[in-house]
Amino acid sequence: MPENQPPASAATDAQPGVPIELSQVTKIYPGQDTPAVEAIDMHIPAGELVAFVGPSGCGKTTTMRMINRLIRPSSGTITIGGEDVAGLDDVTLRRRIGYVIQQIGLIPHLSIASNVALVPRLLKWDKKRIDKRVDEMLEVVGLEPGQYRNRYPRQLSGGQQQRVGVARALAADPPIMLMDEPFGAVDPITRGRLQDEFLSLQQQLGKTIVFVTHDFDEALKLGDRIAVLRQRSVIAQFDTPEAILANPADDFVRGFIGEGAALKRLHFERVDSLDLGGGGEDGPDSVDVSSSLHAALDLMVGKGLRSVSVHRDGRPAGHVDVASILARAHRDPDAVEAR
Amino acid sequence: MNGLPFFDYLSAYRDQIILRTEQHFQFSAYVIVGAVVIGLLIAVLTYQSGIRGNFAISTAAIAFTLPAVALFGFLVSVFGQSLFGAVYPPVVLYALLPVLRNGIVGLQSADPAVIDAARGMGVGPWRMLWQIRFPIAWPLILAGIRVSAQLAVGIFAIGAFVVDVGLGTYGFEALDNLGSVNTGNEAIVCIVFVALVALVFDAFFVIVRYFTTPRGSRA
Ligand SMILES: Nc1ncnc2c1ncn2[C@@H]1O[C@H](COP(=O)(O)OP(=O)(O)OP(=O)(O)O)[C@@H](O)[C@H]1O
Ligand SMILES: [Mg+2]
Repeated sequence: MPENQPPASAATDAQPGVPIELSQVTKIYPGQDTPAVEAIDMHIPAGELVAFVGPSGCGKTTTMRMINRLIRPSSGTITIGGEDVAGLDDVTLRRRIGYVIQQIGLIPHLSIASNVALVPRLLKWDKKRIDKRVDEMLEVVGLEPGQYRNRYPRQLSGGQQQRVGVARALAADPPIMLMDEPFGAVDPITRGRLQDEFLSLQQQLGKTIVFVTHDFDEALKLGDRIAVLRQRSVIAQFDTPEAILANPADDFVRGFIGEGAALKRLHFERVDSLDLGGGGEDGPDSVDVSSSLHAALDLMVGKGLRSVSVHRDGRPAGHVDVASILARAHRDPDAVEAR
Repeated sequence: MNGLPFFDYLSAYRDQIILRTEQHFQFSAYVIVGAVVIGLLIAVLTYQSGIRGNFAISTAAIAFTLPAVALFGFLVSVFGQSLFGAVYPPVVLYALLPVLRNGIVGLQSADPAVIDAARGMGVGPWRMLWQIRFPIAWPLILAGIRVSAQLAVGIFAIGAFVVDVGLGTYGFEALDNLGSVNTGNEAIVCIVFVALVALVFDAFFVIVRYFTTPRGSRA
């Protein structure tokens, strides 16, 4: 490893994700007569973030925790990168899987640095490498190492603690992350910020992530794919956010999407997917070609405009108007009915 | 009937008082070590199950209520006037409850989320106990040890009923010679020096606490 790497290397040198495969995985808790998870089959592609959404008690957490064997499946197999996890030593397996939970669970008597160093220490990295890694990870999650390294968990806010939770999970650069409602316990503004930061981090890291959430909008924002689960972890639909919004499999999924599916879809369509008409005079309000139609519409609604100019690389590239966005939203009648 | 003034009594019996204080100190220390080792061992073996933990605590609590003099008397009838047969075991038994109870409660007190997150990242069972549960429990365990130490010092004095060691001897001499010239002095020596020994132990544990409580666990 070269000396004095910039912190960004923590992200760019990252170990990429590996695929996870669940086949016929069932969990029946002792003394229960119905399975908590029943015969789930799922392929989670390498480097993708798969969001599990579903009603409370449907088995999201159980399904996720079987991947790192915190819960033992009653039957079925789980493979990671082709390797059956049942054949691996639990402790070795878990050191290769990042784990973040809603209640965070930082170790109270250890400093922030020692908390982040947890897995590297278990893996017996040498001290210099650990110290360097801790500082890198704190920077990656937006905590200034000099300021936070020697603090204790109780001296941090909930949002800061969860940043440490994410840093700790990523410290040993695991190819896989399991996250159970990680941003569920913070206020909406902090949650939005953590989501944005986590999304851009994941875009650099390309880990394979299983992300459990109650919040469909969070799943839409973060998920490369969304698995909508019914009771017993039965898959109602497993697809990209765009595809689920455009074609919900049934009323159950529609119920989950909730109000405003048509508007939500506009998040996934870029301004330059419409005909911009080219050139034209430049107005005071503009959006970038890479913005979503949702952002463009939001701007127009907010300012009471019928159209705004569109910029590419800071230069005018045409216009987008309300009518063309509405036409796009109506393209697929399913999406409108979903309200 | 006038006994020696207290300070004259002290200087007259200086060597004997020092000897018995040293004995009391030393033998109480053995009792404390015994109670801590046994108490923590039982705690480690039982904390994982609520039933076993409660059973251990209740048993120690029942033992604690046995009348001390009766227990000493019983053990003397079995083992004779033996320090190891009839003095240490009952004193250790009485000193056991606080360290055992706090040990079990302390080891159970870690936030389940802390344990779950650590387990999920590959912390094995031994490391979980020694590096996570034990440090979290430590302030409570130490508080238990302090109470155990006070009990050990106090109850060891009653052990002089069986064997002529430690400061309790003065107490029993006072009772034996009621009305004699130095009864008052003997009783006061017993009380004052037992309290002194107890204070020395307590001061020691205060210092231990100061140096072993990580900053993250201080309130
Ligand atoms: N240890 C357990 N013993 C028995 N039943 C359990 C246990 N853990 C979970 N269950 C049951 O299994 C089902 C699935 O639970 P799970 O925690 O996986 O749901 P979830 O989808 O994560 O719910 P939530 O969104 O509320 O977190 C529930 O009916 C729950 O009551
Ligand atoms: Mg859950």
